[in-house]
Amino acid sequence: MAEKDVAVKKKKGMSSKGEELRAYWLFILPGFIMYFVVMAFPTVFSLFLSISNYAGGALFGNVRNPLKIMGFKAYKVMFADQYFYLALKNNLLIVFISVFGQIPLGFLMAYLLHRGMVKFRDFFQTIIYLPCVISTVVIGILWKSFFAPNGAFVDLVRIFNPAYEPTVSSHPMIKVLFVILWMYTGTYFIIFTANLQKIDTSIIEAAKIDGASEMQVLSKIILPALSGVIVTSAILAISGSLKSFDLIYVMTAGGPAERTSVLATYMFNKAFKGAPNYPLANAISTVMIIISFFFIAITKIVEKKFGGKE
Amino acid sequence: MANIKDKSWKSHLGMVIVYAILIVFTVLAIYPLIWLSLNSFKTTTEFQLNKLGLPGTVERLNADGSITKFKPTVINYVDAWTRGKFPILIFNSVLYTAVTTIVVIIFSFMSGFAFAKIRPNTKTTKGLYGSYVIGILMTLQSIMVPLFLVINWMGLYDTRIGVLIPYIGIGMPMGVYLATEYIRSIPSALVESARIDGARYGKIFTSIIFPMGKPVATTLAILSVTGTWNEFMLINILTSNDKYKSLPVGVQKFAGALSSDFGKQFAALVIGLIPMLLFYLVFRKEITKGVAAGAVKG
Repeated sequence: MAEKDVAVKKKKGMSSKGEELRAYWLFILPGFIMYFVVMAFPTVFSLFLSISNYAGGALFGNVRNPLKIMGFKAYKVMFADQYFYLALKNNLLIVFISVFGQIPLGFLMAYLLHRGMVKFRDFFQTIIYLPCVISTVVIGILWKSFFAPNGAFVDLVRIFNPAYEPTVSSHPMIKVLFVILWMYTGTYFIIFTANLQKIDTSIIEAAKIDGASEMQVLSKIILPALSGVIVTSAILAISGSLKSFDLIYVMTAGGPAERTSVLATYMFNKAFKGAPNYPLANAISTVMIIISFFFIAITKIVEKKFGGKE
Repeated sequence: MANIKDKSWKSHLGMVIVYAILIVFTVLAIYPLIWLSLNSFKTTTEFQLNKLGLPGTVERLNADGSITKFKPTVINYVDAWTRGKFPILIFNSVLYTAVTTIVVIIFSFMSGFAFAKIRPNTKTTKGLYGSYVIGILMTLQSIMVPLFLVINWMGLYDTRIGVLIPYIGIGMPMGVYLATEYIRSIPSALVESARIDGARYGKIFTSIIFPMGKPVATTLAILSVTGTWNEFMLINILTSNDKYKSLPVGVQKFAGALSSDFGKQFAALVIGLIPMLLFYLVFRKEITKGVAAGAVKG
């Protein structure tokens, strides 16, 4: 009797182990195949293409241009190209405006709304975040026509300075950076708002009763409580600067004379404008992937240091 | 929440400054959009005479001494609508957004269930889950060229499925992350007792896990809808036929060939703006919550 029971249990256990494994893979594979094809494989493959001589068409059995390994030729070309450094510099400018513009402004607004006891909080919050939900394409064209030589910007400046004449700007990135500040500050505003709400208000009230000033509350309670979020936001902003493509592609297309190009538009031009130079485009791609992984590693280290939030 | 009665903050000067800062930023955020909407009701000729004012407020003295009075007009919308092929663009945008969102939610929950409840502590789970977590922070821009080539070799260039596969693939990391974390918080005893009662994993998934996941599904849906609807870079390189393009790519056309025809361009932008604006006004609480949940993690 008891033996039989064990046998049944064993059999059941076996088949349920089998079902478990089968179910496990059936649940995972559909999504993972998509993820693999779209993200994991291209990441690895761009490294291979960057050291090949691939010039379009079929990858294997291409008679006109058999696939060969060329070594780091494309990288040499890239590192010798002044436009690569120009694009890199513009990426760094975007990092700068993100970390020292978006984050402080986003924090300031979140803090004022959270602590300032203003009326119409919901209204302010809705409007401040509004630019973040609009398609980048719409934003890019909107500002492009606003700043155009025959656009409204000239008329607006002339209200204050009637003698103003539009010239070819010596710093075309300034307008791009302004728009980036305009469209992304709301994201950090929302992040800080959500995390300000997590701070226990009774601590602040207790401090207030003990006679702490608003500045003390800010520097001794709120900022320390948000330090992890501030660091994470900074990393998000830095790695996010690699993402700037849509806006610049639509607003300036990297012009005038490539002076507003970033790594992503630089790569786009090498792959899709004129004769495609896939090895070079993939070399740029690989550099971006390395930078991206570098920030992922930093994020993980910082996360460990500040503990797993939440 | 901020119900602290403090004299320094109550002082009028402090409040004036706080309101002034907030109002400046609010005006900065909204003015460009109001400016755009107002100008979409001007013809390009009127716009050139009056770039900042309300529509229908200027007159032009013609060479023959007659006066042209401008009136607000919807002609730009009529022109933009007929030229822009908006019905097919909107159809495609809705299709891409709906399919991507639904598939990402289902696949994410499936993976999350497998990771969190079927085999939570195996090496495979840790490895696969870890690769998704890396994918969250991965910069999509950095792989646009190899991804374009992969889609090409699969013979999916310029097809709807060739747009949907990348959209679903890039939605997976955040989806799997949020779904796994949530399903982990569901008591394992629920799953175990169902197993003892003889329920199969498929049944447990459809009758226990999925129905319980509504809060996360909402967050995921919000992130997926806003992300997919506004996506431009991939669809721009993965399609060339107007039949398969989405609203942002269609709007972008008005910046190229028609860039000096401001009237039509502004109308096209407003058409491109309205769907997301409505979505935001209806779901703004959920959107801001979803963004905060999605952004801080990583």
